[in-house]
Amino acid sequence: MLILGIETATQQVSVAIGGHEGVLGMFEVSRGRRHAETLAPAIEFLCRQADIEIVEFGAIAVDVGPGLFTGMRVGLAAGKAIAQALRVPMIGISSLDLLAFPLRYSDRTIAAVIDARKGEVFYSFYRPVPGGVQRVTDPRVGSADDLVADLMARGQNVVCVGDGALRYQEEIAAGVRCEFAEQFLSHPSAAPLVQLAHARALREEWVNPWEIQPMYLRAPDAQINWSTREGSK
Amino acid sequence: MSRMRGPVDAPLNVDESTLVLGIETSCDETAAALVMGGYDVVSSAVSTQVDLHAQFGGVVPEIASRAHLDLLNPMIARAIVEAGVSEERIDAVACTVGPGLIGALLVGVSAAKALALTWGVPFVGVNHMEAHLYAAFLEDPTLEFPMVVMLVSGGHTMLIEMQDHGQYRLLGQTIDDAAGEAFDKVARFLGLGYPGGPAIDREAEFGDPEAINFPRAMLNDGLDFSFSGLKTSVMNYVRKNPEVSASDVSASFQAAVVDVLVTKARRAAEQVGARGLVLGGGVAANSLLRERFLTVSADAGIHGFLPSPAMCTDNAAMIAAAGWHRLRSDGPTALDAGAYPNLRLPLLP
Ligand SMILES: [Zn+2]
Repeated sequence: MLILGIETATQQVSVAIGGHEGVLGMFEVSRGRRHAETLAPAIEFLCRQADIEIVEFGAIAVDVGPGLFTGMRVGLAAGKAIAQALRVPMIGISSLDLLAFPLRYSDRTIAAVIDARKGEVFYSFYRPVPGGVQRVTDPRVGSADDLVADLMARGQNVVCVGDGALRYQEEIAAGVRCEFAEQFLSHPSAAPLVQLAHARALREEWVNPWEIQPMYLRAPDAQINWSTREGSK
Repeated sequence: MSRMRGPVDAPLNVDESTLVLGIETSCDETAAALVMGGYDVVSSAVSTQVDLHAQFGGVVPEIASRAHLDLLNPMIARAIVEAGVSEERIDAVACTVGPGLIGALLVGVSAAKALALTWGVPFVGVNHMEAHLYAAFLEDPTLEFPMVVMLVSGGHTMLIEMQDHGQYRLLGQTIDDAAGEAFDKVARFLGLGYPGGPAIDREAEFGDPEAINFPRAMLNDGLDFSFSGLKTSVMNYVRKNPEVSASDVSASFQAAVVDVLVTKARRAAEQVGARGLVLGGGVAANSLLRERFLTVSADAGIHGFLPSPAMCTDNAAMIAAAGWHRLRSDGPTALDAGAYPNLRLPLLP
Protein backbone atom coordinates (compact mmCIF):
# COMPACT_ATOMS: atom_id res chain seq x y z
CA MET A 1 0.00 0.00 0.00
CA LEU A 2 1.20 3.50 -0.85
CA ILE A 3 1.02 6.08 1.94
CA LEU A 4 1.28 9.85 1.67
CA GLY A 5 2.86 11.45 4.74
CA ILE A 6 2.34 15.13 5.60
CA GLU A 7 4.25 16.88 8.36
CA THR A 8 3.92 20.60 9.15
CA ALA A 9 4.13 20.79 12.95
CA THR A 10 7.27 22.95 13.13
CA GLN A 11 8.71 25.54 10.75
CA GLN A 12 9.54 22.71 8.35
CA VAL A 13 7.22 21.37 5.67
CA SER A 14 7.87 17.70 4.98
CA VAL A 15 6.08 15.38 2.57
CA ALA A 16 6.97 11.75 1.90
CA ILE A 17 5.65 8.76 0.03
CA GLY A 18 6.04 5.36 1.60
CA GLY A 19 5.32 1.80 0.58
CA HIS A 20 6.23 -1.69 1.70
CA GLU A 21 9.77 -1.05 0.39
CA GLY A 22 10.11 1.89 2.78
CA VAL A 23 10.43 5.58 1.92
CA LEU A 24 10.03 6.12 -1.84
CA GLY A 25 10.40 9.88 -1.96
CA MET A 26 10.59 12.92 0.22
CA PHE A 27 10.39 16.70 -0.03
CA GLU A 28 11.53 18.87 2.85
CA VAL A 29 12.17 22.58 3.38
CA SER A 30 12.48 24.57 6.59
CA ARG A 31 12.72 28.15 5.41
CA GLY A 32 11.28 30.46 2.79
CA ARG A 33 7.62 30.38 1.90
CA ARG A 34 4.80 29.67 4.33
CA HIS A 35 3.41 26.16 4.95
CA ALA A 36 0.17 26.73 3.04
CA GLU A 37 2.06 28.04 0.02
CA THR A 38 4.54 25.17 -0.05
CA LEU A 39 2.50 22.12 0.85
CA ALA A 40 0.18 21.54 -2.14
CA PRO A 41 2.92 22.21 -4.74
CA ALA A 42 5.25 19.92 -2.76
CA ILE A 43 2.73 17.05 -2.88
CA GLU A 44 2.16 17.66 -6.57
CA PHE A 45 5.90 17.74 -7.31
CA LEU A 46 6.70 14.66 -5.29
CA CYS A 47 3.92 12.62 -6.89
CA ARG A 48 4.95 13.70 -10.37
CA GLN A 49 8.65 12.90 -9.79
CA ALA A 50 7.80 9.55 -8.20
CA ASP A 51 5.34 8.81 -11.02
CA ILE A 52 2.53 8.21 -8.56
CA GLU A 53 -1.02 9.47 -8.97
CA ILE A 54 -2.77 10.72 -5.87
CA VAL A 55 -5.57 8.20 -6.37
CA GLU A 56 -3.03 5.43 -5.74
CA PHE A 57 -2.65 6.30 -2.04
CA GLY A 58 -4.30 3.81 0.28
CA ALA A 59 -3.85 5.89 3.45
CA ILE A 60 -2.84 9.39 4.47
CA ALA A 61 -0.48 9.83 7.43
CA VAL A 62 -0.22 13.12 9.30
CA ASP A 63 1.81 14.56 12.13
CA VAL A 64 -0.80 15.44 14.77
CA GLY A 65 1.56 17.51 16.90
CA PRO A 66 2.28 18.87 19.38
CA GLY A 67 3.63 21.79 17.39
CA LEU A 68 2.88 25.27 16.14
CA PHE A 69 -0.89 25.45 15.82
CA THR A 70 -1.31 27.35 12.58
CA GLY A 71 1.25 25.36 10.62
CA MET A 72 0.09 22.07 12.08
CA ARG A 73 -3.48 22.76 10.94
CA VAL A 74 -2.30 23.43 7.38
CA GLY A 75 -1.02 19.85 7.14
CA LEU A 76 -4.00 18.37 8.97
CA ALA A 77 -6.54 20.23 6.80
CA ALA A 78 -4.79 19.07 3.62
CA GLY A 79 -4.42 15.49 4.82
CA LYS A 80 -8.05 15.26 5.95
CA ALA A 81 -9.27 16.73 2.64
CA ILE A 82 -7.24 14.27 0.57
CA ALA A 83 -8.34 11.31 2.69
CA GLN A 84 -11.97 12.37 2.49
CA ALA A 85 -11.80 12.85 -1.30
CA LEU A 86 -10.09 9.47 -1.81
CA ARG A 87 -12.22 7.73 0.85
CA VAL A 88 -9.10 6.29 2.48
CA PRO A 89 -8.23 6.07 6.19
CA MET A 90 -5.76 8.24 8.09
CA ILE A 91 -2.98 7.53 10.51
CA GLY A 92 -1.97 10.23 13.00
CA ILE A 93 1.44 10.14 14.66
CA SER A 94 2.89 12.52 17.23
CA SER A 95 5.63 14.93 16.21
CA LEU A 96 7.63 13.85 19.27
CA ASP A 97 7.50 10.19 18.19
CA LEU A 98 8.86 11.28 14.81
CA LEU A 99 11.77 13.10 16.44
CA ALA A 100 12.70 10.18 18.67
CA PHE A 101 12.39 7.37 16.09
CA PRO A 102 15.57 8.19 14.08
CA LEU A 103 17.59 7.91 17.34
CA ARG A 104 16.40 4.35 18.07
CA TYR A 105 19.92 2.88 17.73
CA SER A 106 21.15 5.03 20.62
CA ASP A 107 21.58 3.34 24.01
CA ARG A 108 20.35 6.38 25.92
CA THR A 109 17.07 7.86 26.98
CA ILE A 110 15.81 10.18 24.26
CA ALA A 111 14.28 13.56 25.07
CA ALA A 112 12.24 14.81 22.11
CA VAL A 113 11.78 18.58 22.49
CA ILE A 114 9.80 20.90 20.21
CA ASP A 115 9.93 24.67 20.48
CA ALA A 116 6.45 25.80 21.59
CA ARG A 117 7.37 29.54 21.44
CA LYS A 118 6.36 31.85 24.32
CA GLY A 119 9.33 30.50 26.32
CA GLU A 120 7.96 26.96 26.38
CA VAL A 121 8.67 23.55 24.88
CA PHE A 122 6.64 20.44 24.12
CA TYR A 123 8.51 17.30 25.19
CA SER A 124 8.42 13.66 26.15
CA PHE A 125 10.95 10.94 26.93
CA TYR A 126 11.57 7.73 25.02
CA ARG A 127 13.71 4.64 25.43
CA PRO A 128 15.10 2.61 22.57
CA VAL A 129 13.53 -0.84 22.18
CA PRO A 130 14.11 -3.48 19.49
CA GLY A 131 12.68 -2.10 16.24
CA GLY A 132 11.84 1.34 17.52
CA VAL A 133 11.36 3.59 20.50
CA GLN A 134 8.95 3.47 23.38
CA ARG A 135 7.43 6.59 24.85
CA VAL A 136 7.88 6.60 28.64
CA THR A 137 6.18 9.93 29.48
CA ASP A 138 3.12 11.64 28.09
CA PRO A 139 3.77 14.67 25.90
CA ARG A 140 3.68 17.82 27.99
CA VAL A 141 4.22 21.54 27.65
CA GLY A 142 6.48 23.44 30.02
CA SER A 143 9.28 25.98 30.33
CA ALA A 144 12.92 25.16 29.56
CA ASP A 145 13.41 25.05 33.33
CA ASP A 146 10.67 22.43 33.67
CA LEU A 147 12.44 20.36 31.03
CA VAL A 148 15.81 20.67 32.79
CA ALA A 149 14.22 19.65 36.09
CA ASP A 150 12.64 16.60 34.43
CA LEU A 151 15.98 15.71 32.80
CA MET A 152 17.76 15.94 36.17
CA ALA A 153 15.10 13.80 37.81
CA ARG A 154 15.79 11.04 35.27
CA GLY A 155 19.46 11.07 36.24
CA GLN A 156 20.46 9.01 33.20
CA ASN A 157 22.42 9.55 30.03
CA VAL A 158 20.10 11.45 27.76
CA VAL A 159 20.23 12.52 24.16
CA CYS A 160 18.10 15.58 23.34
CA VAL A 161 16.60 16.07 19.88
CA GLY A 162 14.39 18.73 18.32
CA ASP A 163 14.27 22.44 17.58
CA GLY A 164 13.31 23.07 21.21
CA ALA A 165 16.45 21.26 22.38
CA LEU A 166 18.58 23.35 20.03
CA ARG A 167 16.94 26.60 21.07
CA TYR A 168 17.50 25.95 24.77
CA GLN A 169 20.77 24.02 24.33
CA GLU A 170 22.68 26.37 26.68
CA GLU A 171 20.09 26.23 29.45
CA ILE A 172 19.83 22.44 29.18
CA ALA A 173 23.60 21.88 29.07
CA ALA A 174 24.07 24.15 32.10
CA GLY A 175 21.68 21.97 34.12
CA VAL A 176 22.40 18.40 33.05
CA ARG A 177 24.98 16.37 31.20
CA CYS A 178 23.51 15.28 27.90
CA GLU A 179 24.14 15.02 24.21
CA PHE A 180 22.37 16.81 21.41
CA ALA A 181 21.32 15.20 18.16
CA GLU A 182 22.35 16.60 14.78
CA GLN A 183 20.67 19.77 13.50
CA PHE A 184 19.25 17.91 10.47
CA LEU A 185 17.27 15.69 12.84
CA SER A 186 15.79 18.64 14.72
CA HIS A 187 12.46 18.79 12.85
CA PRO A 188 10.00 15.91 12.71
CA SER A 189 10.19 14.41 9.24
CA ALA A 190 7.65 12.77 6.97
CA ALA A 191 10.13 9.93 6.27
CA PRO A 192 9.76 8.27 9.69
CA LEU A 193 6.08 9.27 9.49
CA VAL A 194 5.39 7.05 6.46
CA GLN A 195 7.63 4.33 7.88
CA LEU A 196 5.75 4.21 11.20
CA ALA A 197 2.41 4.65 9.45
CA HIS A 198 3.08 1.70 7.16
CA ALA A 199 3.57 -0.58 10.15
CA ARG A 200 0.28 0.63 11.60
CA ALA A 201 -1.49 0.28 8.26
CA LEU A 202 -0.52 -3.40 8.16
CA ARG A 203 -2.34 -3.80 11.48
CA GLU A 204 -5.19 -1.60 10.19
CA GLU A 205 -4.60 0.79 13.07
CA TRP A 206 -6.17 3.74 11.34
CA VAL A 207 -9.10 6.12 11.69
CA ASN A 208 -11.57 7.99 9.52
CA PRO A 209 -10.56 11.51 8.44
CA TRP A 210 -13.08 13.15 10.82
CA GLU A 211 -11.62 11.24 13.79
CA ILE A 212 -8.12 12.67 13.48
CA GLN A 213 -7.47 15.03 16.40
CA PRO A 214 -4.53 17.39 16.74
CA MET A 215 -2.60 17.35 20.01
CA TYR A 216 -2.66 20.99 21.11
CA LEU A 217 -1.61 20.55 24.78
CA ARG A 218 -2.48 24.21 25.33
CA ALA A 219 -5.89 25.82 25.73
CA PRO A 220 -6.60 28.63 23.25
CA ASP A 221 -5.30 31.97 24.51
CA ALA A 222 -8.65 33.60 25.23
CA GLN A 223 -9.78 30.61 27.22
CA ILE A 224 -6.76 30.86 29.49
CA ASN A 225 -7.45 34.53 30.17
CA TRP A 226 -11.08 33.78 30.87
CA SER A 227 -10.39 31.13 33.48
CA THR A 228 -7.83 33.42 35.13
CA ARG A 229 -10.45 36.14 35.29
CA GLU A 230 -13.08 33.82 36.67
CA GLY A 231 -10.64 32.43 39.21
CA SER A 232 -9.64 35.86 40.49
CA LYS A 233 -13.18 36.83 41.47
CA MET B 1 -11.38 8.22 -12.65
CA SER B 2 -9.56 9.25 -15.80
CA ARG B 3 -9.94 12.94 -14.97
CA MET B 4 -8.26 12.49 -11.58
CA ARG B 5 -4.86 13.12 -13.01
CA GLY B 6 -3.35 15.89 -10.97
CA PRO B 7 -2.80 19.38 -12.40
CA VAL B 8 -5.09 20.77 -15.05
CA ASP B 9 -3.21 21.95 -18.10
CA ALA B 10 -5.96 22.45 -20.65
CA PRO B 11 -8.01 25.66 -20.26
CA LEU B 12 -11.35 24.97 -18.67
CA ASN B 13 -14.52 25.93 -20.46
CA VAL B 14 -16.42 27.88 -17.82
CA ASP B 15 -20.13 27.89 -18.61
CA GLU B 16 -23.65 27.36 -17.19
CA SER B 17 -22.91 23.73 -16.40
CA THR B 18 -19.65 24.39 -14.53
CA LEU B 19 -20.07 23.12 -10.97
CA VAL B 20 -17.96 24.90 -8.34
CA LEU B 21 -17.41 23.77 -4.75
CA GLY B 22 -17.10 26.84 -2.52
CA ILE B 23 -15.34 26.83 0.85
CA GLU B 24 -15.49 29.59 3.48
CA THR B 25 -13.52 29.69 6.77
CA SER B 26 -12.48 33.34 7.09
CA CYS B 27 -14.18 34.13 10.41
CA ASP B 28 -16.62 32.17 12.57
CA GLU B 29 -18.73 30.31 9.99
CA THR B 30 -17.49 27.05 8.51
CA ALA B 31 -19.23 26.61 5.17
CA ALA B 32 -19.24 24.60 1.95
CA ALA B 33 -21.58 24.87 -1.03
CA LEU B 34 -22.04 23.74 -4.60
CA VAL B 35 -23.09 26.33 -7.19
CA MET B 36 -23.68 25.63 -10.85
CA GLY B 37 -22.98 28.14 -13.58
CA GLY B 38 -22.24 30.92 -11.09
CA TYR B 39 -25.91 31.45 -10.16
CA ASP B 40 -27.64 28.21 -9.30
CA VAL B 41 -27.19 27.17 -5.64
CA VAL B 42 -27.28 23.38 -5.67
CA SER B 43 -26.46 23.02 -1.97
CA SER B 44 -25.21 25.20 0.86
CA ALA B 45 -24.04 23.99 4.27
CA VAL B 46 -23.10 26.42 7.03
CA SER B 47 -22.03 25.70 10.58
CA THR B 48 -21.88 28.76 12.77
CA GLN B 49 -19.54 28.82 15.74
CA VAL B 50 -21.31 31.73 17.40
CA ASP B 51 -21.97 29.73 20.59
CA LEU B 52 -18.27 28.91 20.96
CA HIS B 53 -17.39 32.61 20.99
CA ALA B 54 -20.40 34.02 22.86
CA GLN B 55 -18.84 33.80 26.32
CA PHE B 56 -15.88 35.90 25.11
CA GLY B 57 -18.04 38.63 23.56
CA GLY B 58 -16.25 38.30 20.24
CA VAL B 59 -14.56 35.90 17.87
CA VAL B 60 -11.49 34.27 19.43
CA PRO B 61 -9.11 33.47 16.53
CA GLU B 62 -7.57 30.28 17.95
CA ILE B 63 -10.98 28.86 18.91
CA ALA B 64 -12.27 29.67 15.42
CA SER B 65 -9.32 27.95 13.73
CA ARG B 66 -9.70 24.81 15.84
CA ALA B 67 -13.41 24.64 15.10
CA HIS B 68 -12.86 25.09 11.34
CA LEU B 69 -10.51 22.10 11.30
CA ASP B 70 -13.17 19.97 13.03
CA LEU B 71 -16.15 21.21 11.04
CA LEU B 72 -14.88 21.66 7.49
CA ASN B 73 -14.86 18.01 6.39
CA PRO B 74 -18.43 17.42 7.60
CA MET B 75 -19.61 20.62 5.86
CA ILE B 76 -18.00 19.57 2.57
CA ALA B 77 -19.53 16.10 2.90
CA ARG B 78 -22.94 17.62 3.64
CA ALA B 79 -22.77 19.99 0.65
CA ILE B 80 -21.94 17.10 -1.68
CA VAL B 81 -24.58 14.75 -0.22
CA GLU B 82 -27.31 17.41 -0.26
CA ALA B 83 -26.50 18.25 -3.86
CA GLY B 84 -26.98 14.60 -4.76
CA VAL B 85 -24.09 14.73 -7.20
CA SER B 86 -21.00 12.61 -7.49
CA GLU B 87 -17.71 14.25 -6.51
CA GLU B 88 -16.46 13.56 -10.02
CA ARG B 89 -18.96 16.08 -11.28
CA ILE B 90 -17.18 18.97 -9.45
CA ASP B 91 -15.28 21.18 -11.93
CA ALA B 92 -13.41 23.54 -9.60
CA VAL B 93 -12.78 24.32 -5.92
CA ALA B 94 -13.11 27.96 -4.82
CA CYS B 95 -12.07 29.18 -1.40
CA THR B 96 -11.85 32.47 0.48
CA VAL B 97 -8.19 33.55 0.61
CA GLY B 98 -8.89 36.84 2.44
CA PRO B 99 -9.63 39.12 4.11
CA GLY B 100 -10.11 37.35 7.44
CA LEU B 101 -8.35 35.71 10.37
CA ILE B 102 -5.11 34.21 9.08
CA GLY B 103 -5.26 30.94 11.01
CA ALA B 104 -8.92 30.46 10.08
CA LEU B 105 -8.36 31.25 6.40
CA LEU B 106 -5.46 28.78 6.20
CA VAL B 107 -7.64 25.81 7.19
CA GLY B 108 -9.96 26.42 4.24
CA VAL B 109 -7.22 27.31 1.76
CA SER B 110 -5.17 24.24 2.62
CA ALA B 111 -8.17 21.91 2.37
CA ALA B 112 -9.39 23.52 -0.87
CA LYS B 113 -6.01 23.19 -2.59
CA ALA B 114 -5.72 19.58 -1.42
CA LEU B 115 -9.16 18.78 -2.86
CA ALA B 116 -8.35 20.50 -6.17
CA LEU B 117 -5.10 18.55 -6.37
CA THR B 118 -6.78 15.25 -5.52
CA TRP B 119 -9.67 15.68 -7.97
CA GLY B 120 -7.43 17.18 -10.65
CA VAL B 121 -9.53 20.33 -11.01
CA PRO B 122 -8.64 24.04 -10.78
CA PHE B 123 -8.32 25.90 -7.49
CA VAL B 124 -9.69 29.45 -7.36
CA GLY B 125 -8.80 31.90 -4.60
CA VAL B 126 -11.72 34.19 -3.78
CA ASN B 127 -11.84 37.62 -2.17
CA HIS B 128 -14.43 37.41 0.61
CA MET B 129 -15.64 40.98 0.05
CA GLU B 130 -16.16 40.35 -3.65
CA ALA B 131 -18.12 37.22 -2.76
CA HIS B 132 -20.49 39.30 -0.60
CA LEU B 133 -21.17 41.42 -3.71
CA TYR B 134 -22.16 38.28 -5.61
CA ALA B 135 -24.49 36.95 -2.92
CA ALA B 136 -27.46 38.97 -4.22
CA PHE B 137 -27.18 37.50 -7.74
CA LEU B 138 -27.80 34.06 -6.31
CA GLU B 139 -31.31 35.08 -5.29
CA ASP B 140 -32.12 37.75 -7.86
CA PRO B 141 -30.45 37.10 -11.23
CA THR B 142 -32.46 39.99 -12.75
CA LEU B 143 -30.27 42.60 -11.00
CA GLU B 144 -28.73 44.98 -13.51
CA PHE B 145 -25.55 47.06 -13.58
CA PRO B 146 -24.69 49.58 -12.40
CA MET B 147 -25.77 48.67 -8.93
CA VAL B 148 -24.86 49.87 -5.46
CA VAL B 149 -24.15 47.34 -2.74
CA MET B 150 -24.10 48.37 0.89
CA LEU B 151 -22.02 45.89 2.90
CA VAL B 152 -22.58 46.12 6.65
CA SER B 153 -20.98 43.59 8.98
CA GLY B 154 -18.88 43.31 12.10
CA GLY B 155 -15.79 44.11 10.05
CA HIS B 156 -17.07 46.37 7.29
CA THR B 157 -19.37 49.22 6.45
CA MET B 158 -18.98 50.17 2.81
CA LEU B 159 -20.86 51.40 -0.23
CA ILE B 160 -19.65 49.88 -3.47
CA GLU B 161 -20.68 50.63 -7.00
CA MET B 162 -20.66 47.48 -9.11
CA GLN B 163 -20.36 48.67 -12.73
CA ASP B 164 -19.94 45.19 -14.15
CA HIS B 165 -18.51 41.81 -13.11
CA GLY B 166 -15.20 42.54 -11.41
CA GLN B 167 -15.57 46.32 -11.90
CA TYR B 168 -15.95 48.01 -8.53
CA ARG B 169 -15.71 51.54 -7.23
CA LEU B 170 -15.61 52.31 -3.51
CA LEU B 171 -18.14 55.10 -2.87
CA GLY B 172 -17.85 55.34 0.89
CA GLN B 173 -16.81 53.47 4.01
CA THR B 174 -16.56 53.84 7.75
CA ILE B 175 -13.77 56.03 9.06
CA ASP B 176 -13.77 54.28 12.45
CA ASP B 177 -15.95 51.41 13.79
CA ALA B 178 -17.91 49.11 11.50
CA ALA B 179 -21.68 49.21 12.06
CA GLY B 180 -21.70 45.62 13.37
CA GLU B 181 -18.88 46.48 15.77
CA ALA B 182 -20.99 49.36 17.15
CA PHE B 183 -23.89 46.93 17.68
CA ASP B 184 -21.57 44.49 19.50
CA LYS B 185 -20.03 47.16 21.72
CA VAL B 186 -23.34 48.78 22.65
CA ALA B 187 -24.94 45.39 23.31
CA ARG B 188 -22.05 44.41 25.54
CA PHE B 189 -22.27 47.74 27.38
CA LEU B 190 -26.00 47.22 27.94
CA GLY B 191 -25.38 43.64 29.06
CA LEU B 192 -27.47 42.22 26.20
CA GLY B 193 -24.93 39.59 25.14
CA TYR B 194 -23.22 38.56 21.95
CA PRO B 195 -23.65 38.82 19.02
CA GLY B 196 -24.89 42.37 19.46
CA GLY B 197 -26.93 42.75 16.26
CA PRO B 198 -29.70 40.24 17.05
CA ALA B 199 -29.58 41.17 20.76
CA ILE B 200 -30.23 44.87 20.09
CA ASP B 201 -32.81 44.00 17.44
CA ARG B 202 -34.79 41.92 19.95
CA GLU B 203 -34.50 44.48 22.75
CA ALA B 204 -35.47 47.37 20.45
CA GLU B 205 -38.83 45.76 19.73
CA PHE B 206 -40.06 46.87 23.14
CA GLY B 207 -38.50 50.35 23.05
CA ASP B 208 -39.27 53.77 21.66
CA PRO B 209 -36.95 54.68 18.77
CA GLU B 210 -37.59 58.38 19.45
CA ALA B 211 -36.97 58.21 23.20
CA ILE B 212 -33.41 59.49 22.88
CA ASN B 213 -32.10 61.60 20.03
CA PHE B 214 -28.66 60.05 19.47
CA PRO B 215 -26.37 61.80 16.96
CA ARG B 216 -26.45 60.83 13.28
CA ALA B 217 -22.81 61.45 12.43
CA MET B 218 -22.07 62.90 8.99
CA LEU B 219 -25.69 62.37 7.92
CA ASN B 220 -25.72 65.20 5.41
CA ASP B 221 -22.13 64.85 4.51
CA GLY B 222 -20.87 62.57 1.71
CA LEU B 223 -20.89 58.78 1.68
CA ASP B 224 -18.50 57.90 4.49
CA PHE B 225 -19.68 56.64 7.88
CA SER B 226 -18.64 57.13 11.49
CA PHE B 227 -20.08 55.11 14.37
CA SER B 228 -17.54 55.59 17.12
CA GLY B 229 -19.09 58.86 18.35
CA LEU B 230 -22.55 57.28 18.46
CA LYS B 231 -21.26 54.42 20.60
CA THR B 232 -19.63 56.91 22.99
CA SER B 233 -22.76 59.03 23.25
CA VAL B 234 -24.85 55.93 24.05
CA MET B 235 -22.44 55.08 26.87
CA ASN B 236 -22.40 58.65 28.19
CA TYR B 237 -26.18 58.84 28.10
CA VAL B 238 -26.60 55.60 30.03
CA ARG B 239 -24.03 56.63 32.63
CA LYS B 240 -25.87 59.93 33.17
CA ASN B 241 -29.31 58.28 33.14
CA PRO B 242 -28.78 54.90 34.78
CA GLU B 243 -32.54 54.32 35.16
CA VAL B 244 -33.19 54.49 31.40
CA SER B 245 -34.69 51.34 29.89
CA ALA B 246 -32.37 49.19 27.80
CA SER B 247 -35.21 48.85 25.30
CA ASP B 248 -35.41 52.60 24.69
CA VAL B 249 -31.65 52.88 24.39
CA SER B 250 -31.55 49.92 21.97
CA ALA B 251 -34.42 51.24 19.85
CA SER B 252 -32.99 54.77 19.72
CA PHE B 253 -29.45 53.56 18.98
CA GLN B 254 -30.69 51.23 16.26
CA ALA B 255 -32.79 54.02 14.72
CA ALA B 256 -29.72 56.28 14.58
CA VAL B 257 -27.56 53.64 12.88
CA VAL B 258 -30.26 52.68 10.39
CA ASP B 259 -31.05 56.34 9.58
CA VAL B 260 -27.45 56.94 8.59
CA LEU B 261 -27.15 53.68 6.64
CA VAL B 262 -30.27 54.08 4.52
CA THR B 263 -29.74 57.81 3.92
CA LYS B 264 -26.26 57.17 2.56
CA ALA B 265 -27.32 54.12 0.58
CA ARG B 266 -29.99 56.17 -1.20
CA ARG B 267 -27.59 59.06 -1.78
CA ALA B 268 -25.01 56.69 -3.26
CA ALA B 269 -27.55 55.04 -5.55
CA GLU B 270 -28.82 58.40 -6.81
CA GLN B 271 -25.32 59.74 -7.30
CA VAL B 272 -24.25 56.96 -9.64
CA GLY B 273 -27.65 56.44 -11.27
CA ALA B 274 -27.82 52.88 -10.00
CA ARG B 275 -30.43 50.48 -11.41
CA GLY B 276 -30.25 48.29 -8.35
CA LEU B 277 -29.59 48.78 -4.65
CA VAL B 278 -28.54 45.74 -2.64
CA LEU B 279 -27.86 45.05 1.01
CA GLY B 280 -25.27 42.55 2.26
CA GLY B 281 -23.27 41.52 5.32
CA GLY B 282 -24.32 40.25 8.75
CA VAL B 283 -26.02 43.50 9.85
CA ALA B 284 -28.37 43.15 6.86
CA ALA B 285 -30.30 40.69 9.02
CA ASN B 286 -31.44 43.62 11.23
CA SER B 287 -35.21 43.92 10.93
CA LEU B 288 -35.44 47.73 11.02
CA LEU B 289 -32.68 48.06 8.44
CA ARG B 290 -34.46 45.60 6.12
CA GLU B 291 -37.74 47.47 6.40
CA ARG B 292 -36.29 50.95 5.93
CA PHE B 293 -34.03 49.80 3.12
CA LEU B 294 -36.96 48.67 1.00
CA THR B 295 -38.93 51.85 1.72
CA VAL B 296 -36.01 54.04 0.74
CA SER B 297 -35.36 52.12 -2.50
CA ALA B 298 -39.03 52.36 -3.43
CA ASP B 299 -39.08 56.11 -2.67
CA ALA B 300 -36.05 56.58 -4.89
CA GLY B 301 -37.57 54.46 -7.66
CA ILE B 302 -34.66 52.02 -7.60
CA HIS B 303 -34.88 48.22 -7.69
CA GLY B 304 -34.01 47.45 -4.07
CA PHE B 305 -33.08 43.88 -3.21
CA LEU B 306 -32.70 42.25 0.18
CA PRO B 307 -31.00 38.88 0.05
CA SER B 308 -32.26 36.39 2.62
CA PRO B 309 -30.45 36.58 5.97
CA ALA B 310 -28.69 33.30 5.12
CA MET B 311 -27.23 34.88 1.99
CA CYS B 312 -26.28 38.14 3.78
CA THR B 313 -24.22 36.40 6.43
CA ASP B 314 -21.09 34.42 5.60
CA ASN B 315 -21.79 31.38 3.44
CA ALA B 316 -19.97 29.35 0.83
CA ALA B 317 -22.51 29.72 -1.99
CA MET B 318 -21.35 33.29 -2.53
CA ILE B 319 -17.74 32.05 -2.55
CA ALA B 320 -18.54 29.48 -5.23
CA ALA B 321 -20.41 32.14 -7.25
CA ALA B 322 -17.57 34.65 -7.09
CA GLY B 323 -15.15 31.80 -7.81
CA TRP B 324 -17.07 30.90 -10.99
CA HIS B 325 -16.80 34.51 -12.21
CA ARG B 326 -13.10 34.73 -11.33
CA LEU B 327 -12.38 31.39 -12.97
CA ARG B 328 -14.04 32.67 -16.12
CA SER B 329 -12.21 36.01 -16.15
CA ASP B 330 -8.80 35.13 -14.68
CA GLY B 331 -8.49 31.33 -14.81
CA PRO B 332 -7.26 29.13 -11.96
CA THR B 333 -5.18 30.34 -9.02
CA ALA B 334 -1.73 28.76 -8.63
CA LEU B 335 -1.39 26.13 -5.89
CA ASP B 336 1.37 28.15 -4.22
CA ALA B 337 -1.07 30.93 -3.33
CA GLY B 338 -1.42 31.65 0.36
CA ALA B 339 -3.97 33.39 2.58
CA TYR B 340 -4.10 37.17 2.81
CA PRO B 341 -5.68 38.50 6.03
CA ASN B 342 -5.78 42.12 4.79
CA LEU B 343 -6.81 41.44 1.20
CA ARG B 344 -8.65 44.37 -0.36
CA LEU B 345 -11.41 44.48 -2.90
CA PRO B 346 -9.87 45.08 -6.34
CA LEU B 347 -11.09 48.58 -7.19
CA LEU B 348 -11.19 50.52 -10.45
CA PRO B 349 -8.52 53.21 -10.61
ZN1 LIG C 1 -18.39 38.31 5.50
